[in-house]
Amino acid sequence: MRTYVIAALCLTAVPPLVRLWVGPTLWDRLTGAASLNVRVALALAAEAAFAGHGILLDVALAYAVLGFLGTVLVARFGERGQR
Amino acid sequence: MIGTVLLVAGLALLFLGGVGLLRFRGPYERLQASGVGDVGGAVLFLVGLIVHLGWSGAGPILVLLILFFVFTGPLSTHAIAKGAFVRGERPRER
Repeated sequence: MRTYVIAALCLTAVPPLVRLWVGPTLWDRLTGAASLNVRVALALAAEAAFAGHGILLDVALAYAVLGFLGTVLVARFGERGQR
Repeated sequence: MIGTVLLVAGLALLFLGGVGLLRFRGPYERLQASGVGDVGGAVLFLVGLIVHLGWSGAGPILVLLILFFVFTGPLSTHAIAKGAFVRGERPRER
């Protein structure tokens, strides 16, 4: 069960990676990066909950917070015009 | 049983959001697919995790994670969309 869930999450992380790689504009790449952040945080949380590692849950929470901050930061930076 | 169903539903929603991210045409359409798929899929997946594994182990932090995703998913989507609009991206007529 645990292996299948983690493998399925890795499978769902492929399309954001492709969009991050080929996205024509900055905003497409940023969308892919935000989507990838969500999947990585979910994979960390699933691994922690299945294996019983309590410390990884805190890592997942901190990763989600830092991913959100990075997304908003890059969006504001691109909005002001420095490419 | 119902935890497995919720887990599979969340994974399917995440995958469909990814397919929309690949197949849609402009930045706003991709942003819509990604935003809806990410928040809905993450909430379904984490609720499924709680139901499947029980409340005692990882329940409270997973609820915190759900609340975080529900509150910040639309915020980051709005930040990206506002940046794209201010920089001159316009939705395309077809």
